[in-house]
Amino acid sequence: MTKNVLIVDDDKDLLVSLKEGLGKYNETFSVFTSENGLDATEKLKKHTISLVVTDLKMEPMDGFSLLSHIMENYPDIPVIIITGYSTPEMEKLAKKGGAVGYISKPFIIKDLAVKMLTTLRREADGGTLHNVSSGMFLQLVEMEQKTCTIRLEDTSSGRKGVLFFKDGELFDARMNDLQSKDAAYEIFSWDQVVLSIQNVCQVKENKIQSDLQGLILEAMRLKDERSGAEEESPDVPEPIPVIEEVKTEKPDPVSSVRSRIEKNLGARSGVEDIYLDSSWNDLISQMSRLGAFFRIGKIKSVFVDIGETRNFILKQDEETTVVAVSPKCPRDRIMQILN
Amino acid sequence: MKDLFKDILSVEGIKGVVLFSFKGEVLFKTFLSAIPEDPETRDWALFFDSIKKVGESDLIFEDGRMYLRKTELGFLVILMNSTAPVALVRLNCDVLLPSLKPAKISKGLGRFFKR
Repeated sequence: MTKNVLIVDDDKDLLVSLKEGLGKYNETFSVFTSENGLDATEKLKKHTISLVVTDLKMEPMDGFSLLSHIMENYPDIPVIIITGYSTPEMEKLAKKGGAVGYISKPFIIKDLAVKMLTTLRREADGGTLHNVSSGMFLQLVEMEQKTCTIRLEDTSSGRKGVLFFKDGELFDARMNDLQSKDAAYEIFSWDQVVLSIQNVCQVKENKIQSDLQGLILEAMRLKDERSGAEEESPDVPEPIPVIEEVKTEKPDPVSSVRSRIEKNLGARSGVEDIYLDSSWNDLISQMSRLGAFFRIGKIKSVFVDIGETRNFILKQDEETTVVAVSPKCPRDRIMQILN
Repeated sequence: MKDLFKDILSVEGIKGVVLFSFKGEVLFKTFLSAIPEDPETRDWALFFDSIKKVGESDLIFEDGRMYLRKTELGFLVILMNSTAPVALVRLNCDVLLPSLKPAKISKGLGRFFKR
């Protein structure tokens, strides 16, 4: 996924040489330019920008004001400062204001490029996925209760958007000048996307305040309306199943496992039953061989799908505790809790 | 083949991928860091026979994780560190495994795979 970088400087010659010098990285990022902070704010509205590189002294709207605007409205976008009037105080102030990098002029373009590439790489520290259905993936993020920033590109139109998840809840969305729910509806209407995941979420406030499933369904409805195909049934993801109540009659360690899961996941755990069953011991013992071969220590817990309607999470102590779960349970969370 | 697993191998924390046949032969292997022993030195037949009912498995060990998935060719084993984003690895498998099918007769390792 090619990223967009915005470079802001009132020195037109510098902008031209930067655009030319950074052209060799065009497979990684495209360069947009602005001559002042005010114009940059407009570019930020129109394009999905991944990184801003800005000078400090400009009119109208200087680099500090732009930095402050970005921190308030686009806290996920990293900012690198380039300035010809560098002082230690200014550098301290810029970093305190949220800048991730600070480069004094004059500089070598390659040095700036290295800094830019390093910063951009963090945008996908959680990995990249090609040609996936966004609905399926996003429900997984919700179920796994992930905290992350997901950048998506619609493979058919090339449009880009950003989603912010905190503990599996969609906190905010942005697509060009669309924000929050409007942006989410647009992004959720994309069928196939390329997405990259960053394992942080800079958005602190929940601006969406809606259930993800409902948002996806509404996005599909709006898409149908737009395409005038009301009669066709929308290609909506399967609804998240109703979670069955956990039984409470088992002795320890079953009750211990149950209470830990309930405490951490509540009614969304997807747990159907918890019991002791030594018939799994052979399988766990076999699986332990893999760990022993690759020298990664003793086995702690195992998730297993053996083709039944429910799956199993196994925890071996003196006896094997079996947690029977629905296929859509947050398995990683449950395994973490067990460990 | 390495190209097929490119997205998986690019996920942070992935240490390697091994594709075993149902009889335990190593069909493909690639590791991004050193491993203590080459999997081809072991006879895995009994092991894979004992887990033949397993379609998918996540394994958490003291010092790492493993994701195991049954494919049309055999079992795919993905070795990773404890912090790797396993959900992403699973999704990558969902996307790529339909491409991993026995192909018609041709020469070389390529005879096993179809893209």
